Amino acid sequence: MLMSSEIQTFTEKYDLLGCIQCGRCTGGCPVTVRANLNVRQFVNDAYDEDKLEELARLAEIWDCTACHTCAVRCPKGLKPLEVLIGLRTMIVESGKVEPTVRDALQSVLLEGNPWEKSRATRLDWMEDLDVKIADPDEPVENLFFVCCTIAYDPRVRAIARNMVELLNKAGVDYAFLPEDESCCGSEVFTLGEEGLFEMQVEDSTEFLNEYQAGRIVTLSPHCFTTYKTHYPDLKSPVIHYTQLLVELLNNGKLTWKGELPKKIVYHDPCYLGKQGNIYDEPRELLKSIPGVELLEFERRRERSLCCEGGGGKMWVESESKKERLSETRIKDARALGADVVAVACPFCVLTLEDSMKGLGLEEEMRVVEIMELLGELMEK
Amino acid sequence: MKTFVCIKYVPDTSEAEVKLNPDGLSVDDSRFSFDINDADNYAVEESVLIKEAQGGEVTVLSIGPKKSDVMIRMAMAKGCDKATRVEDDRIATHDPLMVARVLAGGIKGQEFDLVMTGCMANDDWHMATGVALAEELGVNHASMVNKLELQDGKVKVHRELEGGLLEVVELDLPAVLTIQTGINEPRYAPIRGIRQAQKKELNVVSLDDLGIDPAEVGTDASQVVLEKLYIPEVESAAEFIEGEPEEKAEKLASILHKGGLL
Ligand SMILES: Cc1cc2nc3c(=O)[nH]c(=O)nc-3n(C[C@H](O)[C@H](O)[C@H](O)COP(=O)(O)OP(=O)(O)OC[C@H]3O[C@@H](n4cnc5c(N)ncnc54)[C@H](O)[C@@H]3O)c2cc1C
Ligand code: SF4
Ligand code: SF4
Repeated sequence: MLMSSEIQTFTEKYDLLGCIQCGRCTGGCPVTVRANLNVRQFVNDAYDEDKLEELARLAEIWDCTACHTCAVRCPKGLKPLEVLIGLRTMIVESGKVEPTVRDALQSVLLEGNPWEKSRATRLDWMEDLDVKIADPDEPVENLFFVCCTIAYDPRVRAIARNMVELLNKAGVDYAFLPEDESCCGSEVFTLGEEGLFEMQVEDSTEFLNEYQAGRIVTLSPHCFTTYKTHYPDLKSPVIHYTQLLVELLNNGKLTWKGELPKKIVYHDPCYLGKQGNIYDEPRELLKSIPGVELLEFERRRERSLCCEGGGGKMWVESESKKERLSETRIKDARALGADVVAVACPFCVLTLEDSMKGLGLEEEMRVVEIMELLGELMEK
Repeated sequence: MKTFVCIKYVPDTSEAEVKLNPDGLSVDDSRFSFDINDADNYAVEESVLIKEAQGGEVTVLSIGPKKSDVMIRMAMAKGCDKATRVEDDRIATHDPLMVARVLAGGIKGQEFDLVMTGCMANDDWHMATGVALAEELGVNHASMVNKLELQDGKVKVHRELEGGLLEVVELDLPAVLTIQTGINEPRYAPIRGIRQAQKKELNVVSLDDLGIDPAEVGTDASQVVLEKLYIPEVESAAEFIEGEPEEKAEKLASILHKGGLL
C-alpha cells in the first residue's frame, strides 16, 4: 500500500479546488510533444483521494521536468507541477523508485550530493587555486555556494574555477564555503523525497546562517531558485552570479582581452528565467564582450524551451523515443546561424551539449556556460 | 520465517585514490564515501521480500563502527525488524574465518531458518565469510545465489557458477545463502522510514556480551597474518607462452619454479 502523510490534505495542499480547468498549463507544457503527460488532467483527477494511488503509478508523472511553465501560465496561481511531485512522494515513500533515483537520493543523505561522490572530495575542484574559504567568525560580502554538479562534474567545474580567478583579479570580498557545504535539495524536492528535503532545508539553513554573509552567491540557478523559494529562514539574501558580475561590469571591474567575433545565442534556463526572473543579466554580460553578436531564439525568456535537465530528469530516463527538447533547441540555434549556444546553468550545458554531439555538430558549434566563456576572455 | 541478514559497511574506493596509512597495514579511508556493501543490499531486499510474502522476522547483524548505524537504520526502514551491531576492536577482521565466528556468535542460541550474507565484500573481496559462517553454524549453505524459492522446510536456489553456468540446488533449512547482486532490485529507504526505524531495536554488543572468548577471534587465533599492504605497481610486461598444451604447462611450471613460486 502506498502511503502519503499528506493524503488528507492533497486537495488543500495544492489548492485543487482553485483550478478552473482552463488548460493553460497543459497548453504550455513543453514535454507534451514527446510524452503522454497532461498535467491538467492530474490537477483534475487528484481531487478524488481514492484515485491517488492509481495516479501515482502512472509512468508519466516522471516526465515532468519541473520547468515551471505551467505554474507561470496558470491564471489562478496554482503550481500544477507540484501535484505531480506530490504523487512522486507517494512512490518515493514506498521505496519503489528507479535505482538511479534511489542512489541519487541516498547519496544526498549520506554524502550531501546526488552524484554518489564522497563528501571528502567536494573541494577537489579547487586544486592549485588560491581560494578564500569562509570562516564563521569573519564577515564576508559575497559568500559562494557551489552546486554539487559544478563541484564534482569535470565538464562544468570550470564555472567555479574561473569564478575564483575572476574574483581574485577583480579584488572582490568573497569566500567559498568549506566542505560541509551540502546539496540545496533542488532535485530532491522535484523527485518528491519530501522528508529528506525538509531535513535539508532545516540543516542547510542552520549551516548557512552560521556565516556572516552580506549575501549568498549561487553558481547554479537550481540552487538559486531553491534557496529563494524554499528557505524562508535564511539570514542573507541570495543572488545568482550573473547579478554580481553585472555589478562588477558596471563598476568597470571586468575587462576582456581581445575580441570574440562570434554569433552567440543565449538559452534562458528555466530555473534562472521562469523561476528566478533573471533574464537580462546574462545577456548584458554576453553583450559586453567585444565582437559578440547576440542572437535570440524565437522561444525565449518566459517562453524559453526547457532542456529537460531539471525535475530530477538527470536520474530518470524518458521512455519516449521522440526528439529530445534539447535537440530541438540545438537545431533552432543552428537555423539561426549561431556559433555558440551560451547558458547559465550546469544542467543545460550537459543536456544541450549532449544533443549537439548527438547531432554531429561538434565541429560547427559550441555549448558553453557563460563563466567558461568569460574565463577564456578574462585578463589574468 | 526467521531470517538473519549480515551486512557490512564498506568504502567506495572508485572515486578517490587509494592510499595506505603509514603503518603499511591499513588503507587511509578518509576520502572515501561509505555505504552498505553492494551484495548485502540485495540480501537485505531479499530478506524483506520473503518477510512481505510470508511473514516472519528479519534481524540485521553487522560488525562495525558507530558510524555504520545509518546503514543499519536504512535496512530497518526497508522492513528489517531489529539489529545487532558488534563493536569490538579485538576481532581480527582481516580474516573471514574470525569474522564468521563472531557473526555465528551473534546468531547461535536463537531460532533461525535462513541466514543471508552478500557473496563478497567490495573492500576485501574474500568471498569466504558466508561459507565459513555456515560451517561455524553447522548448517547447509549455497553460495552466489541469484534466485531463490522457499518450499516447505526447504529452499531451492539458483547458484551462479563461473563462465555463466547456473546450478539449481535444493537445501534443507536452516541454511546460509550468500546472495549475488541482481537477484532483485533493492528499494529506497525514504527519510521518513529511517526516522520511524529509530524506534526499532538496535543492540550494540561486545564480544563479552556475545559470550565469545576474544582469544578465539583475535589475531592470535587467526592463521592469516597481515604482513603488509602495498599498491601494485603498474607494469606492462606480459610473456606469452607458445606451444602445445604439455609444452606450455612445462614452460609455465619452470617459470614459476625459477621465480620461487613453486
Ligand atoms: C574471485 C572469485 C570469484 C568467484 N566466482 C565464483 C562464481 O562465479 N561462482 C561460484 O559458484 N563460485 C565462485 N567463487 C567461489 C565462491 O565464492 C566460493 O568460494 C565457492 O563457491 C564455495 O562454495 P562451493 O560449494 O562451490 O565449494 P565446495 O566445493 O563445497 O568447497 C567448500 C570449501 O572449500 C573451500 N573453497 C571452495 N572454493 C574455493 C575457492 N574458490 N577459493 C578458496 N577456497 C575455496 C572453502 O573453504 C569452502 O568453504 C569465486 C571465488 C573467488 C575468489
Ligand atoms: S492552468 Fe491552472 S487553472 Fe488552468 S487548468 Fe491548469 S491548473 Fe487549472
Ligand atoms: S513543470 Fe513543465 S514539464 Fe512539468 S507539468 Fe509543468 S509545464 Fe509540464
